[in-house]
Amino acid sequence: MKRGHEETWDPTPHPQPPSGSCEGSSMTDNIINGKMADDNNNMDELLEVLGYKVRSSEMAEVAQKLEQLEMVLSNDDVGSTLLNDTVHYNPSDLSNWVETMLSELNNPESSDLDPTRICSDRSEYGLSAIPGLSAFPSGEEEEASSKRIRLESVGSWTDPALTRSVLVVDSQETGVRLVHALVACAEAIQERDLILADALVKSVGTLAASQAGAMGKVATYFAQGLARRIYTNDVVSSTVGPSLEEALQMHFYESCPYLKFAHFTANQAILEAVTTARRVHVIDLGLNQGMQWPALMQALAVRPGGPPSFRLTGIGPPQRESSDSLQQLGWKLAQFAQAVGVEFEFKGLAAESLSDLEPEMFETRPESETLVVNSVFELHRVLNRTGSIEKLLTTVKAVKPSIITMVEQEANHNGVVFLDRFNEALHYYSSLFDSLEDSYSLPSQDRVMSEVYLGRQIVNVVSAEGTDRVERHETLAQWKVRMGSVGFDPVPLGSSAFKQASMLLSVFAGGDGYRVEENDGCLMLGWQTRPLIATSAWKLAESPRE
Amino acid sequence: MSEKRIGMVEKSNNKRQRVNLVPTFSINDHHDVLVEILRRLDGPSLCSAACVCRLWSAVARNDSIWEELCFRQVSPRPSLSLRSVVSALGGYRCLYFLCIRPVLARVPKIIWSRDQLQLSLSLYCVHYYERLHVGAWIGDAPPSSLMFLRKPVNVV
Repeated sequence: MKRGHEETWDPTPHPQPPSGSCEGSSMTDNIINGKMADDNNNMDELLEVLGYKVRSSEMAEVAQKLEQLEMVLSNDDVGSTLLNDTVHYNPSDLSNWVETMLSELNNPESSDLDPTRICSDRSEYGLSAIPGLSAFPSGEEEEASSKRIRLESVGSWTDPALTRSVLVVDSQETGVRLVHALVACAEAIQERDLILADALVKSVGTLAASQAGAMGKVATYFAQGLARRIYTNDVVSSTVGPSLEEALQMHFYESCPYLKFAHFTANQAILEAVTTARRVHVIDLGLNQGMQWPALMQALAVRPGGPPSFRLTGIGPPQRESSDSLQQLGWKLAQFAQAVGVEFEFKGLAAESLSDLEPEMFETRPESETLVVNSVFELHRVLNRTGSIEKLLTTVKAVKPSIITMVEQEANHNGVVFLDRFNEALHYYSSLFDSLEDSYSLPSQDRVMSEVYLGRQIVNVVSAEGTDRVERHETLAQWKVRMGSVGFDPVPLGSSAFKQASMLLSVFAGGDGYRVEENDGCLMLGWQTRPLIATSAWKLAESPRE
Repeated sequence: MSEKRIGMVEKSNNKRQRVNLVPTFSINDHHDVLVEILRRLDGPSLCSAACVCRLWSAVARNDSIWEELCFRQVSPRPSLSLRSVVSALGGYRCLYFLCIRPVLARVPKIIWSRDQLQLSLSLYCVHYYERLHVGAWIGDAPPSSLMFLRKPVNVV
């Protein structure tokens, strides 16, 4: 580590001289000498919001230096190995920090650079390439992982203004800028500063367009949501027909393991609960395409002791066209049941909202049948009206199910404060899109449709309010409290479910990124370190409450 | 693979006559024995055997061979009721090719027990269900939820 003399190549005294090594940099010297006007602590406001202290007068050169830095860092790995060795302090003093970085790069210690190589310069900024030992591409292989780690270590600054953790999804600096711009825009909306928000959302749009990969797509959807929030007061809920919604969910089912995980783990929980039942009645709170039930029917068909008779009540949205899609689904399931030899009965219920359901609608036969209630990504929608969830859970309790299986997103997108919701959602959907990105073996239409499916959720979380906002995800911990207060006890999911889930993920493309975790009897599927969906099972509390 | 041992015997009148030293046994005449042999092969060998000749290819389509292959490491053995279910869904051979072989290719050291078999069967059910009633699906083509198993894996 070099400890050089404190360099002030800038005639203006800086408030905090960098304590990292800062060798003289001839490159930046030539550019900035004589450009400075004397200025005192006139910090730029916009950047101050983001936590950077940059003088308005210095903005131009800081921008230039950042461009240089980006060019160098994105070009090769030499920069990253160098930067790993040096300690940089106080990045919020952006000007000094960038100069330190640049000086490091311009005077590298490593000797394995080709001194005769010249990099193309960005002449618009008046930079001239300096031959010799400068940090120009030396043709070494990129190690993306080291770059990512380096930027993350740089990013873990302790400036109190940046109390939110920033997710660096992409190794390039535009990714960081993009995230900062998104968060700044959300903050502006939170503060009701719509003019600033308007400016920022436009900049997000341009930044996102230039960013390839998952981060760019996520940012585009978030920008869409933010724009909708800024520009329209009464948010028109995007009304698409239920058939499109179901089609999008089918693509999501095909392209990634989340829904399959949900179905297979819920099925295993149901199987374990109905081992001795002769008649099984399942109430599916969101039938969609009924993809969950063939596998359950097959498992019931081969269980020791012979199959029970299987009755399914599927709930779907109100039918708009004359065709009764619920009944068609029922017929298809009946065909399957006949193939595997399970006695099958189907009933379809159309309901606008789940809270409209009454216990009598299900026509349960409590003496003869074992009742199961299943909900995959349906319960959170009911949180948009006060009292709805309690009514629904009371209805569910009234039919006396033996087991309730529940799969929900593991995120808190239902907070009162918009900014917190926004940040949570940004993290959550970044991870989700990241996982889609890594599934390289997908046909592109599937992935695009899955992204549209998720994008609609993003726009709803960000821009909708009141009863329009249906994507009110809550964490497993919150659901546990809710279910416990209504009178349900948790049922632990067994190791079979865990093993099946592990096997499913091991064969999925990008399988190393997916993680199954057992969390106090519930199973969570996540990407890298972030849990994304959680499966849990519940039964009626046995002991009477005092 | 037919083995005929033809011995040459010197007869007293110095005429050589063909005498069968052992009764001729052609495996191709005994399909049940062939099936028993093929049942003990592993997947790749079985596929090679199916390429030997048309007869062997036809014999290799016998589902019991593939059933044995699917259940070889599973203990306890699944009940017989599974056989009728799998036959209805398309047979063990399709089950193997669709749901088991890709898994073994991706995770060679997998321990194949009841849970893994159940998962394969679940995926097989999904596959069958998607092909029911093709016209009823939204869009033109039936969904292909098992596509993730079929695509080649880029091992990095």
